[in-house]
Amino acid sequence: MLKMNNVRKSFRTDTIETHALRDFSLEVKEGEFVSVTGPSGSGKTTFLNIAGLLEPPTGGEYLLDGDDVSNLNDRQRSHLRNEKIGFIFQGFNLIPDLTLFDNIDVPLRYRGFSAKERRKRIEKVLEQVGLSARAKHLPAQLSGGQQQRIAIARALAGEPRFLLADEPTGNLDSLMARQVMELLEFINEWGTTIVMVTHDPELARRAHRNIQIVDGQVCDLRAVPEQPAAVSV
Amino acid sequence: MLELKPMLSALWRNKASALLIALQLALTLAIISNIVVIVQDRIEKIERPTGITVEDIIALNFMAIPQNYDMTGAIAADLELLRALPYVKDATVTNQVPLSQSGSAGTFYTQPNQEIGGENSNYYNTDPHFIDTLGLNLVAGRNFTDAEIQFSDPNESPEIAVALVTQQFAEKLYPGQDPIGKPLFDGSGSNPIEIIGVVERHLGAWVGWSNAGNVAFFPSIKNTQDTNYLIRTEPGKRDQVLKALVQKLSERDPQRVIKTKVLSEYVARSYARDNLMVKVLSIVAAMLSFIVALGIVGLTIFWINQRAKQIGVRRALGATRTNISRYFLLENSLIAGTGIAIGSAAALIVNQSMVRDYSQPELTLMPLAICALLVLLVSLAAALTPAIRAANISPATATRSV
Ligand SMILES: Nc1ncnc2c1ncn2[C@@H]1O[C@H](COP(=O)(O)OP(=O)(O)OP(=O)(O)O)[C@@H](O)[C@H]1O
Ligand SMILES: [Mg+2]
Repeated sequence: MLKMNNVRKSFRTDTIETHALRDFSLEVKEGEFVSVTGPSGSGKTTFLNIAGLLEPPTGGEYLLDGDDVSNLNDRQRSHLRNEKIGFIFQGFNLIPDLTLFDNIDVPLRYRGFSAKERRKRIEKVLEQVGLSARAKHLPAQLSGGQQQRIAIARALAGEPRFLLADEPTGNLDSLMARQVMELLEFINEWGTTIVMVTHDPELARRAHRNIQIVDGQVCDLRAVPEQPAAVSV
Repeated sequence: MLELKPMLSALWRNKASALLIALQLALTLAIISNIVVIVQDRIEKIERPTGITVEDIIALNFMAIPQNYDMTGAIAADLELLRALPYVKDATVTNQVPLSQSGSAGTFYTQPNQEIGGENSNYYNTDPHFIDTLGLNLVAGRNFTDAEIQFSDPNESPEIAVALVTQQFAEKLYPGQDPIGKPLFDGSGSNPIEIIGVVERHLGAWVGWSNAGNVAFFPSIKNTQDTNYLIRTEPGKRDQVLKALVQKLSERDPQRVIKTKVLSEYVARSYARDNLMVKVLSIVAAMLSFIVALGIVGLTIFWINQRAKQIGVRRALGATRTNISRYFLLENSLIAGTGIAIGSAAALIVNQSMVRDYSQPELTLMPLAICALLVLLVSLAAALTPAIRAANISPATATRSV
């Protein structure tokens, strides 16, 4: 599904060059649920951005579904993002001026679906996240957990094969965080590959596999046991 | 692909900013379209044909110093001298200089002894050379002959028998008829003046007069203390002739004060106010457009910066750069469209009062449509740079900023 070989990413400001990722190599298989942890500033978001085609890597090779996507142009990357990748952000990032319905509609319009198809998909995902009744509401009228569920619905509406989440529970209390996590697990069971950055060790352990990023490199590739509930903190 | 509906509802939630831009555009359209009608009207006025070869003509005024001066004799001798000068095509004598804002006018009738229903007209007392000197176009009938010229003293009324008139004046007096041979009565007099010829056009003394273009010419020379000559030169030789002129006339008869001025200077002075008006209004319109454009650039940039995060999110969700810039240009067009709708209505209302209270010309659909298009283009041009900036916001903005 996702394969990175010696990916590098550096940021250059006037004088300083920051190496956010160095010799970064990783493979994520179809259907996996991978959690990513690591200290602040270690390069987790940078990794997600490159994986999600939000930014191109400075060097190295990135294969998505077997295709080399490290050198695509902006337009091609936009289309790939739209079709294959769903994003969930820590700050939900719903568009405040649009109703929940219209928020979920945004990526579907870029996809070029018919109005009928879009409506069908929006109604379906709204039902999946249990917020059908709120379609006409504005984001500000929802709780944080509800907003994140709408954001997940927006990410799911295009039926992406690959879901990327950057601290999706970072702004939520533990109850809401658990609900969101359950939703993600449910989505994963239906076949969507998920990579989730989190600071919460408990949530990290519930994934199939946890990778640690330290100083821009994958530090330790260890599989976590199949039954996450069995592991003690 | 068009996201009109969500765009409209998003705009509705930000209606204050959107309305502010729309009103700016509306005001601009209302002002500029009214400026355009006025400017257009003035330019049309300035560019109206005078019927006269203005550029080649010198006007000369002289005042005799001695009392009981033989004006008639002086005129004959001067004109002979002037017509013989190199590069001079012709010269004529006239009581007033055309297009100079100074002249004589009277009311003329088609029946004798009338009090009402006359036509006002500018008139000139001149000699048969006026047609060639002014470069007029005789379109019907004939010119005066030298024998028809009436010489008279200042306080005596000459019995004028024949006249030439402009086509415009002929049409006013005898609409749809052949004016040649028809009579003309001066004031409430009973002495018929026969119209013997028609010249195509002569704008007369006052360019701003509502009857400008109504002109009659009489073969009459008065024995006054001062008079005017008009001298037409070969094209391009005017200034050269002007230099020699005064000296030659003074040599012939030094007992007089001579003043010269080129006719184009009189014309320029006649239109000075109109020209100034055109200039000032054009500058106002240009500055207004520029300031409004700056305002739109500023507000759009501010508005886009405010929505930078949202743009990043849209990019992350699959919007291409084109999608983003198109979004902002479309949004701008919607706002401009609203502004233009309001502005057109305002323009027409403002114009109505301009027509009623200041007798300005009416604003028709065509100039309004052109101004509306102009405002739309200014608005789009102003939004272009911000829209491109918006398109360059990185999709990573969605994950980077909180
Ligand atoms: N646009 C940028 N310009 C310069 N440096 C950047 C930029 N984006 C990230 N960095 C740097 O790259 C490094 C990795 O940042 P990144 O955001 O990936 O860390 P992170 O692991 O997500 O941290 P956190 O847990 O705090 O979110 C940091 O040192 C950061 O300062
Ligand atoms: Mg981060």
